[in-house]
Amino acid sequence: MKSPMTIRVAAVAAALSFAAAGCTPAPSQPAPAAATQAEADAIAAGTLSALAPANLNKARPAPPFDVTSNWFIDVSQDPKAWHFYLPPYPKLTAAAQKEYDTSMKYDGEGKVYKDDIGQCWPAGLPLIMTRYWPMAMIQKPTAIYMISGFMNSVRIIYLDGRKHTDPDVIVRTYNGESIGTWQGNELVVDTVGFRGDHHWMDQDGPAIPAGEKLHIVERFRMVNDGKQLEIEFTMTDPDNWEGEWKSTKRFNRVVDVDIQEVSCLPDLNQHIKSTTSKTQVFQ
Amino acid sequence: MRKVLWSVVMAVALVAPALAHHSPAAFDRTKKVTLVGTVKEFRWQNPHTWIEVEVPDEKDKSKLVVWGVELTSPTYLIRAGWKSNIIKPGDKVLVVVNPVRSGEPSGIFVSMTLADGRELLERPARLGTPESK
Repeated sequence: MKSPMTIRVAAVAAALSFAAAGCTPAPSQPAPAAATQAEADAIAAGTLSALAPANLNKARPAPPFDVTSNWFIDVSQDPKAWHFYLPPYPKLTAAAQKEYDTSMKYDGEGKVYKDDIGQCWPAGLPLIMTRYWPMAMIQKPTAIYMISGFMNSVRIIYLDGRKHTDPDVIVRTYNGESIGTWQGNELVVDTVGFRGDHHWMDQDGPAIPAGEKLHIVERFRMVNDGKQLEIEFTMTDPDNWEGEWKSTKRFNRVVDVDIQEVSCLPDLNQHIKSTTSKTQVFQ
Repeated sequence: MRKVLWSVVMAVALVAPALAHHSPAAFDRTKKVTLVGTVKEFRWQNPHTWIEVEVPDEKDKSKLVVWGVELTSPTYLIRAGWKSNIIKPGDKVLVVVNPVRSGEPSGIFVSMTLADGRELLERPARLGTPESK
């Protein structure tokens, strides 16, 4: 890890190189700011905000690609491609198998088992990535901000070299805590820190729980001349299945639609009557 | 528009997955129900647009049954020619839905015919492909 002094020298050098070349920083970037000692220490410790100028302007290798765009799950080859329950999937633990079997029993009766998303619980990772809604991704040097058109769910992938938060203080969430590193032509994203209640690996069919031990490693690749983003998911959760569960999804670059404000308002399900119908089973 | 009650029509309907915040498994995609009635309320919103249609009860025509009709997001409806004011309370409509399996007066949208004869459909959620244009 670079020392605070090295970082400060690099920032000054970068500012000087701009001046020497007669260039100005790109409008999207804040003006380079000399890191204070406290900021430099925070960068070293990984505790400086991803949007702090000193962090944004830290010298880093150019990333191999930029995901900034709107994206939408590609189902052109298979209408069910958005599902994670598609084969091959792993051997379930006894507890998860019980949930799976119960869900399939009700599915056979034309009922819906524990559709928590329909009751406005967050979809969570991984399902939030493949919902039938566009997702906006904004890439900065220090982080990728993802906003799903589905309930405007926010996911942040930190790229600034920080480590995962201490498990004793992490605030568990449905999208988890994601740390990304550039490896060759791929972005490798490691995500932990999930909530394990009302969190499912899929919806509409087999119910397979996602627990607090869920660990997801994603490998992002830009394919098809940048028209598609491919993400290879490798997922483990020893409380719910054995070994690794792998799934690869592709997303189409969308240039004619922006995400909108989408909320699960208190009165939504009063009028979306299927969500409160006798088809729903929650026990 | 003919004054008929709603009727159940058995049909094999292979419908593209609708954009929904909930599981679509509650709906019986093999059945269609045709609702002929009056718009009670139309809400143009995310994540779903919805219509409530008052339909004469099949057994007691003096009573009205309010059917809840669930549609996709305005993002896709706009691409199929919809607008926020395309219908309003009091309008006569014919709406075809796939009903919920429980038999309750609720269904997911298939098509709608307005009093002037225009037929409205949805557009599949296929962003980034020619289908979504």
